[in-house]
This record gives sequence, C-alpha cells and structure tokens, in this order.
Amino acid sequence: MATKEKITHADIMKCFWRYVFMAQCGWNYERMQSVGYCYSMLPVLKKMHPDPEDFKEAFITNLNFFNTNPVVGTPLIMGAHIALEEAGASYDTTEGLKVGLMGPLAGVGDTLVWALYNSIIFSIAAIMALNGNVMGPILAMVLVFFPYMAIRYWQITWAYKEGTHLLTSIGSGAIGRITEFATIVGLVVIGGFAPSIISLTTPLEYEQGALVNGETVTQIVSVQAQLDAILPYMLPALATFLCYWLLKKKSWSPIKVIVLLVVVGFLGGALGIFG
Amino acid sequence: MSPILTALVLAIWAYICVYDMLATQFVLANRPLIAGFVTGLIVGDVQTGMLIGGTLELMSLGVYTYGGATVPDYTVGAILGTYFGKGGNFDVGIALAVPAALLLTQVDILNRFLNFVYVHKADKYAEAGDDKGFEHMMVWTSHIIWGLSRAIPVFLAVAFGEPVVKGISAFFETYPWINKGITAAGGLLPAIGFAMLLKILPVEKYPAFLILGFVLFAYLGMPLVGIALIGVAVAGIFQYVKYEKKEA
Repeated sequence: MATKEKITHADIMKCFWRYVFMAQCGWNYERMQSVGYCYSMLPVLKKMHPDPEDFKEAFITNLNFFNTNPVVGTPLIMGAHIALEEAGASYDTTEGLKVGLMGPLAGVGDTLVWALYNSIIFSIAAIMALNGNVMGPILAMVLVFFPYMAIRYWQITWAYKEGTHLLTSIGSGAIGRITEFATIVGLVVIGGFAPSIISLTTPLEYEQGALVNGETVTQIVSVQAQLDAILPYMLPALATFLCYWLLKKKSWSPIKVIVLLVVVGFLGGALGIFG
Repeated sequence: MSPILTALVLAIWAYICVYDMLATQFVLANRPLIAGFVTGLIVGDVQTGMLIGGTLELMSLGVYTYGGATVPDYTVGAILGTYFGKGGNFDVGIALAVPAALLLTQVDILNRFLNFVYVHKADKYAEAGDDKGFEHMMVWTSHIIWGLSRAIPVFLAVAFGEPVVKGISAFFETYPWINKGITAAGGLLPAIGFAMLLKILPVEKYPAFLILGFVLFAYLGMPLVGIALIGVAVAGIFQYVKYEKKEA
C-alpha cells in the first residue's frame, strides 16, 4: 500500500513535462497512447509505490490501453490520477478513472480543439498565407503555442486540486455545457466556412430559344447562374452532404471519400464540367 | 545547398513535424500551412511555401486523426509540394502534393502497426521493474519508426526525384486539361474535412445552427471571423435561455 508521501508541485511538473515531450510517442494500434501515458506518470508512481513489487504492479497496470485527446483530455486525467495516487486509491479506482474519462474527453477535446479552435485559426491563417502575408503562418503558430501550453498546464494543476471531486464536477454537467457550447459554435462556423472554402462551380451553358418582341432569339443560359438563383453555393453544400452521408450512413473511411473526391474532381475539371 | 544536403535538411524537418504532432504540439508543425511555410524558408521561397501550405491547409481543414484513424499525409505533401513547386512551379507542386499525401497513408498504417514493438518491450521492462530501461526506450527510440517513415520518403523524393518531376511538368505543359482537373479536385477536397467534423458533431440534433452559418456567408457574405463571433454569441444566448430561465 502507498505510504503517506506528499505530492509536490515539482512532482506534478515532472509528469507534465514528460507528457509534453512524449505524449503519443510509441502510439500503436494495440494500446494506443499507453506507453506515453505510463512514461509521463512514472515519477508519481515511483514516489507513491516505494516497495519494488508494488511499483512493478503500478508500472504494469499503467501500460493498459489508453487513448484520448492529447491536448484537452490527457492532462486532465493525469491531474486527477495523481490526486488519486496521493490518496492511496486502489488500481480499480485509478483505472476506472482513466477508462471513465478518456472516452468522453476524447469527444470534448476533438470537438473543442480540432473541430472548432484549429479550424477557425488555420482557415484564417491559410487565407492570409494565400494572400502572401507571412503573418498568417506566424499567427497560427503563436495561437497554437501559448493557448495549448496554457490549457494543458491548467488542466493538470486544476484536476489535481479537484482530485476526487473531479468525477462529481464532471457529473454536474459542466463538461456537458462546455461541449454543447462548442458544438453550437462549431456548427455555425462549419455552416459558414464550408461554402466559403470549398470551391465548386460549373462553367456549363446551354442555349434556349426565347420570344423577344415577337421574334425568336437564342439565349445562352449559364447553369451556375440558374443554380445560384435557387440556392447560392448549392454545389459546395451538396458535396459536403454527400461526403457526410458516405461517412456516416455508408460508413466509408475518410480515405475512400478523399479518393472519390480526387477522381470526381479531376474528371469534372478535365472534362470542363467543373471549374 | 546541394540537393543531397537539402534532402537531408528537409528529411530532418519532416521528422520534427512528426514529433511535434505526436508529442509537443508546440506549433502543430504537421499542419500543411506550417510544414509548407518552414519548407519555404529552408529552400528560400517563402511565397511558394505559403501558397502550397495554405492550399493544402484549406483542403485538409478538419481532417484530423480522430481515434487514431489514418488520414492523408498532407505534411509530407506540403514539404514535397513546396520543394518541387519552388520558383513559380506552383501547379507542379500542388499536383505532386496530393498524390504524395495519399500514397503515404499506406506508410502510416505500417508505422502504426510496427509501433507494437514499443508496447511489447515496455511490458518486458515492467515485468522486470526496469523503469530506467523503459525511460531510455521512450526518450531515444519511441519516435524513430514514425519519424523515419516520413523522413526517408522525403529524403528519397528530394534527392532523386528531380528527373521524374521534370518529366511530369513537361507532360503537364503538353496536356493543359490535367491542370484543370487538379485545380477542380483541389477545390472539392475541403468537403471531406467539413464532413468529418459534421460526423463528430450532433448535426441531426442542431441543424438550425448549420443553416445559420450558411446563411451568414452565402447570403450576407460575412467574413469568417464575424461568423465565428456570431457562433459564440448564439451559443451564449442559447445556453442563457436554456439554463438561466429555470433559475430565475
């Protein structure tokens, strides 16, 4: 059983820097982030389990399957886990914490960090870069470095302080509300960004006869103008929904959809249907 | 820089991009915008780096490896695209970047599989209670398979790819429809990123917010930052109405 050693801020920082420098190294299909997680937690595991046999058990246990969002997720779980180790919790409790949090936090983290934050800053930065402005990529790097460091540091220290209360505060719906907030912002952003970034138009035209002042004249009608009259950006919207449908309802892999887009886009462009 | 030296420097850069993606996430060097920009600095053509990186960035917005799924390697695409696109050959660069990104998906599956060795060695270290051995393995070797799986293709392509690329660009000049096809495919590709994002978000529960964003851009032509701010405001109002009313 663990002795009554106290965890210091320095111990937490040891784990934190190990996590920053090794988080997902050694990632594999079998146990995903397990080796990186175990490596990050070793200083605390070693301190709280001075008996060699006991330490061995902690070492083995922490090589179990682990996978969550590495930015918003892993440091939160680590902070809570460190608090549980200090309290001398059983392996059932610590493993329960990891398994219980990694799934929901992966969802929250992927939505907040990838879907929302990164999409906004990187689309704006990319548009600046395409206009030849070097501030684009520099801004993106700055807006990654500082917030990512801050949010990771905050999670591990906050979750350690919350400790055993963390599960209750997550149960109280705070995480649910943050996710809901992020989801709404994400949907508004995707609704606006998708038509602005996907470029899909058609140069097709057709001729039709029209009666002007009793005389028949031939008019050239642009298909794009007709589509725009029904719904602007109709083709990008349709393309997005087609991909969504293939991913969600037909369970296609992203790679398969990408290959389809490349083939359809290439043929459409080469044959003059798109462009 | 001699071609071999450039190949070596870009291979090291590819390795750093992998490492920043796996662990540090300091600048997200694996995002094509950053990978392309720095490649531009290395080869002395920042503008091409930004054009290739920015174009690939928009193609791959929202394309992340959710739950460890393999996605095209736009990082290597941006590095090779910038290298071969430098000096005003943007079309050739972008035309190479996308197939390169798709080809590397096979490599990605392979390296995620080969990484089994680390977890199996870790088990042995744990059985022996050898934390020092495990730490040594983590620090010095745990990123090697993944890093080299990108560094080696970049090195080979940059060091020996020039004649092949020259042939391809001659081919492009002869058949201009190839470029039209590539441009159209590039314009269409961002659709997958948005679809992947929609898949992880509960669209069917909140379709109204998607429509709102669409209308702001398609009918009102609002800039992207404005749309993002409206999103924040609407989410705030939604939660205020949903939660605060009960407490009042």
